Amino acid sequence: MSTETVERTDRREHTGSALDVARFEGERRLRVTGVIVVLVALFGALFVALSPDVTTAADIDQLTEAMPPAFRELFGIETLGSLEGLLAGEFYVFSWVVGLAGYLAYSAAGSVAGDLRADRMDTLLAAPVSRTNVLLGKFLALLVPIVVVNVAIPLVLYAGSVLIDDPLSLTDLAALHALAIPYLLCWAAVGLLAGVVVRRGRTASRVALGLVVAAWLSESLVASTDYDWVGTLSPMRYFDPAAVLLDGTYDLAGAALLCGVAAAALVAARTAFVRSDL
Amino acid sequence: MAVIETDGLSKYYGDVRGVEDLTFGVEEGEVFGFLGPNGAGKTTTIRTLMGFLSPTGGSATVLGADVRDAGALRAARARIGYLPSDPGLNENVTGRRLIEYHGALRGDVRSDELLELFEPPLDRKVGEYSRGNRQMLAIVLAFMHDPDLVIMDEPTSGLDPLKQERFLEFVRAERERGKTFFFSSHILGEVRKVCDRIGIVRDGFLVELEDVESLIDRTGKLVRASVGGTVTPEEFTIEGAHDVTVGGETTPDETATDGGEETLVTFTYTGAYEPLLRHLLRYDLRDLAIEEAPLEEVFMRFYGEDDAEAVVERVERERRAAEGEDTELEAADV
Repeated sequence: MSTETVERTDRREHTGSALDVARFEGERRLRVTGVIVVLVALFGALFVALSPDVTTAADIDQLTEAMPPAFRELFGIETLGSLEGLLAGEFYVFSWVVGLAGYLAYSAAGSVAGDLRADRMDTLLAAPVSRTNVLLGKFLALLVPIVVVNVAIPLVLYAGSVLIDDPLSLTDLAALHALAIPYLLCWAAVGLLAGVVVRRGRTASRVALGLVVAAWLSESLVASTDYDWVGTLSPMRYFDPAAVLLDGTYDLAGAALLCGVAAAALVAARTAFVRSDL
Repeated sequence: MAVIETDGLSKYYGDVRGVEDLTFGVEEGEVFGFLGPNGAGKTTTIRTLMGFLSPTGGSATVLGADVRDAGALRAARARIGYLPSDPGLNENVTGRRLIEYHGALRGDVRSDELLELFEPPLDRKVGEYSRGNRQMLAIVLAFMHDPDLVIMDEPTSGLDPLKQERFLEFVRAERERGKTFFFSSHILGEVRKVCDRIGIVRDGFLVELEDVESLIDRTGKLVRASVGGTVTPEEFTIEGAHDVTVGGETTPDETATDGGEETLVTFTYTGAYEPLLRHLLRYDLRDLAIEEAPLEEVFMRFYGEDDAEAVVERVERERRAAEGEDTELEAADV
């Protein structure tokens, strides 16, 4: 009798936490994360493997010079004459600045909008869990791909660079991937906001992906024009792999700004989500 | 204290009415049937009670928590089970994993016991489930934390008749254990099996609350008979038959070899089967269907009119008169 009372009291106080949501959602991201790690690792290995041939080609710097400035901005090309330059210019732009950012924004938006569309949000929120915690849990789950990729890939690249006898700076690699985390968190939060505001399943994901591509293009295309200031609105301005790998300069203020934007987007997403009808 | 209490609860989506001015109470330990044809506002009401939608007018409390108070309602949901007709479930995981997940969110005190009654294939991905299996999994999720109140929106749709029966039996047993149910349906047949009281919602208005028995007494079966030759409505003025229509939808059977014309007779019927069948057998009976009268039909026979607003007005007036209220009845501003 008394145990039953205790049980009932416990049950009445049961609350689902953000961590419960994050654990489940994060687990479901493991497979995709694995696929991403393998693909990006292969892509990176390709750059490392080709770099001895490319960087020693006699006319590579002339070739770089001959590229249109907008093209160089788009792909972040400063020099193709070194492994660092090659990675910063092509590999990191494709896989981090656009690729991973796009994936996170798309996926974050879908994790909310998809649940809303398919009524899974009803099932979830029928439990004693707050909307804030559901959103927070979904956001935390995105740390799975963010952290795993940012730990695994630099290791692969470093191992590869040692193999070709042109070791990368471990410090710079670590710094680059540490700085990548605020950048990716920023896009994840923006994606979440798009999911809450746009809803409609895949549409929200496409909008989020569109934002990433638009931000990338605008930042690159306006650079070195009179409209350079437009680029300051783009998160890409505050995450510069080339500056880290080639010059060893770390934009800590930029990283802090990206963290701030991520937090603001999260707060906005939460506010909209708490107020809206499901 | 009422487990669910609404007072003038309204929900508009922009200009579109979801429900309007819904006032009712569900007492502890009862099974309250919330009837209405599809699109009547049942789901809107339920989703408002669960806190998924915020009301545009009026108020409602569930287990004492105001539905506008997200924090209070979240706490109350630890004691609420929710079972929609077509539950949204994560597709890429096994049923077992989903039970584990929702167990973490709401507490799991009896999923093992429930899984003996309802047997979704736990080790398969939910995406591969049949509709019935999905619904059984949803039943386990709705009851696993042994809630005090279960809010169900057409819970038996998707279940085969055997499983429906098992589920309704389960609801009766849970009611004996003191659980309260809010049970929406558009099928009178299942509601009459388990509900103590019912309300009918139509066009977003709650129209009547009364004992199931008295509603059943006034409801009939819908009889549809195709007979050879021609008949007149007068021939079917047998005891218990109402609203006889003859030939309304006459379908001359072109394939009939005897060349005889076929007449469709439809009416609602209350009473024993024997006299009905005896009467029908006097004719050249080609086809016969006896089914549960659709809710619309019940409603029309019940109230003798098809205008929900007029009905609300009249029912309201009658109720106030019965309560002896001397307040002036405002012209129903609906």
